[in-house]
Amino acid sequence: MSERLTNEAIVDTALQALRDMAMPLGEVFLREAQSGSVEIKDGAIESVIARGERGVGIRVIDEQRLGFAYTSDLSADGIRGCADTARRMSAVTERDIDLVLATRPLDDADLDIYQAGIVDRALGERGAVALAVEEAARATDARVTQFRKTTYSDSESTTMIATTGGVRGSFRESYCGAMTSAVATENGDRQIGYHGEAGRRFAELEPRRIGERAARRAAEKLGAKPLATQKLPVVLDPWMAMDLLRAIGPLFSADNVLKGRSLFANKVGQRVANERITVIDDARRPRGLRSAPFDGEGVATTTRVLIEGGTLRGYLTSLKTARKLGLDATGNARRGGYGSPARVGTSNLFIDAGVDDTDAAVRGLDRALAVTSLLNLHTIDPVSGEFSLGATGNYLERGERIHPVQGITIAGNLTDLLNAVVGVGSDLVFGPGGLGSPTIVISELSIGGA
Amino acid sequence: MTRQPSVSARDAQHALRTALSRGGDWAELYWERHETLQLVLDDGRIEDAISGVDQGAGIRVTKGERTTYANSNVADVDDLIALAGRAARGVAEGGELHETSDPAPDELARPSTVAIDPRDVAVERKVGLLRRANEVARALDPRVQQVTATYAESVQDVLVANSDGLHRADTRVRLNVAVHVVAKQADVLESGFEALRGTAGFEMLTDEAVEQAARDAARRAILNVGAQPAPAGTYTVVLSSEAGGTLIHESVGHGLEADLNLKGLSVYSGRIGQKVASELITVIDDGTDPNKRGTAAMDDEGTPTQRTVLIEKGILRTYLSDRKHAEKLGIKRSGNARRESFRYLPICRMTNTMIARGTSDPEKILRSVKDGVFVKKMGGGQVDVVSGNFAFEITECYRIRDGKLAEPLRGATLVGQGPKLMSEIDMVGTDLGYSTGTCGKDGQGAPVADAQPTLRIPAVVVGGKLK
Repeated sequence: MSERLTNEAIVDTALQALRDMAMPLGEVFLREAQSGSVEIKDGAIESVIARGERGVGIRVIDEQRLGFAYTSDLSADGIRGCADTARRMSAVTERDIDLVLATRPLDDADLDIYQAGIVDRALGERGAVALAVEEAARATDARVTQFRKTTYSDSESTTMIATTGGVRGSFRESYCGAMTSAVATENGDRQIGYHGEAGRRFAELEPRRIGERAARRAAEKLGAKPLATQKLPVVLDPWMAMDLLRAIGPLFSADNVLKGRSLFANKVGQRVANERITVIDDARRPRGLRSAPFDGEGVATTTRVLIEGGTLRGYLTSLKTARKLGLDATGNARRGGYGSPARVGTSNLFIDAGVDDTDAAVRGLDRALAVTSLLNLHTIDPVSGEFSLGATGNYLERGERIHPVQGITIAGNLTDLLNAVVGVGSDLVFGPGGLGSPTIVISELSIGGA
Repeated sequence: MTRQPSVSARDAQHALRTALSRGGDWAELYWERHETLQLVLDDGRIEDAISGVDQGAGIRVTKGERTTYANSNVADVDDLIALAGRAARGVAEGGELHETSDPAPDELARPSTVAIDPRDVAVERKVGLLRRANEVARALDPRVQQVTATYAESVQDVLVANSDGLHRADTRVRLNVAVHVVAKQADVLESGFEALRGTAGFEMLTDEAVEQAARDAARRAILNVGAQPAPAGTYTVVLSSEAGGTLIHESVGHGLEADLNLKGLSVYSGRIGQKVASELITVIDDGTDPNKRGTAAMDDEGTPTQRTVLIEKGILRTYLSDRKHAEKLGIKRSGNARRESFRYLPICRMTNTMIARGTSDPEKILRSVKDGVFVKKMGGGQVDVVSGNFAFEITECYRIRDGKLAEPLRGATLVGQGPKLMSEIDMVGTDLGYSTGTCGKDGQGAPVADAQPTLRIPAVVVGGKLK
């Protein structure tokens, strides 16, 4: 077998290749991961996937021009070839005086994001999580008899970064999660309800809660009817609010701000939301699903208050975008893998808990719509903030559920929506993707229907 | 065209034997080498130039109802055999040992022609296309604020071998030039998008084609900044053939995937032979359509792609299947097993999906509507396959008044339920227009194309801001 280099040796080989090319500014990013998933069907394990990956991405800055290449060929020749391709790519891009690599030494933050051996658990134990999810869903509502897909998955990975300037760091992380799409059937009507949760440790997973939530989501949509076109107050439970927050996240990116692709551009210090709204990006949240000690450029991560009591406080930055805006790098250059370039992105983004009794607030409304799913969230226009989304929900009168609703649209403008928040609950929860939110009540949105 | 050696029939058989060494009914090797180049022009500057190669394999062993799949990056035969050993260790021991059949390599006809391998074209030429797109879009109108143009080149060498003796390779050369334009008028900012995407050689990217895409993206952004916010409510809608086939993809296509139907979860489950749409509607999935984005010689299990009539004059004929689901449902394999990469098991999904041409003159369809909405271009969409509820974004649309196009509208969404919509369409045009995209399912992306003629829907919910 061809000699298999260790991760450290791969990084050293790449650094040496960069020095041999007389490249003063070079960076090596390595990711090695073992992951697996178990899917069940009819009470038994149907498929088991074991995945291994290892590769490097090499960035160079040559005469202030950036080049990037990646490879899974980790022979010495493959690594040297990758470094050379990165150099060739730099000849294609434009000079940018703000391009830099990380220079500050990294700290030893322990974010409690690694549990050794999570992927080595016995198949029976991993499959049992998925089986328990389905069992809980069935027990929650007798109308739930089928599942579109139920899986348990886990992973362990190592991330390393090193620059020719001497910054070097590595961390390990683990992950496990379970999800299901439960299907409820009644009188020929069939509805699906999805729910998934994840954690850094095996013991954090609560299969019963996952099954229960999915079952309730499916069952509550049975018998859904359209609604007449009108304006209504709208209630977003934490999971629906997280879906919306995921779509808002890119607006905080300094890259989008600089390029005029964010409605938050030029608004720092200004009111952008109701005073009840505080939004935080916390890359150092212990056990956070997107917590990491450093980002994809080797910059130490931070905790940032982005919106404080309705006022925009700042943006998320990479090294380059921070220099362009004259700000500190926040450590938000995120990388999906060794083949992905660093892009400004969120870590654990959440709407902070409020003090409102949202249940009481909803009981005080003559009529309202509690949203149960949103379709097409990716089509919210980041510049104008305009949106028009497919939705399902529950039609409420004074907090009482009158009937479920489907086949409607919810339209409006993000700026108006953020200002129209009239209630923020104290029930903050964190979900997949590191997102978190409490229940949110919005005074009025346009419903398109029959 | 393959520049790198893939896996020889002998090595593949060695891996498959190893995979079945502890038991198992059937084994398959999927090997892939994927070379990519991505160039991004943003804000007038070439900002990113990314080149990479990812090589790996996945080995699948089935035993009874259980599938074991081990995959990883592999550099050579030793890595491959080690991977096969890992797959074998994942299979519960016991039962009969199955021999592999002798490999019977064969060559499939390639439906797409590649006259110019993009890897043979200088990167400067590719950069030149992006600069041209930027210039053309900005020159069109002073209201153009921002242009992002991307060039993405993907060359995927695939080899599939299985214990039945199948041994087949395919090379998919895919190109994608996309232009995104932001325009501003007073306080209103809106965007426009257009893309050229296909399974084809560099010859598809002529200067004229790229310039036209840039103009279309810019024109759409400018149109939208001057457009009225769309009303909300139920309208008669004419969908132009130029809108492409997002509608058929979302409203029907996903519901016809065999995996969902085997579980009995689709709105189309158990309905083969039954009327599921207006008799004006014929739906076809065609993985052999030359040079289209979803085209390949074979699917990712080595089954040749084909033209499959899914719905014929309103009658459901079959589903989109992979090996396993075709067998379980007792239908013919349709060559629709696709995977994003070696890291995934294949799943049933669309290639190039269309509503076939009808008999109505598209002009007459428009003239037939007194008061309604004309959809000229659609963006992305999403469907809940179990209920059939779908929503999609409209990126260019107009009010219809007295059979003529009137003021442009912006910010509209179309929502409905697939089978209901398909039974209500009452006019189908003689024209056909394509759109392209990347379809997401179970966390895997797949390049697809969709097509449709001009269609009339008597009543459908249009979501916009309430007036």
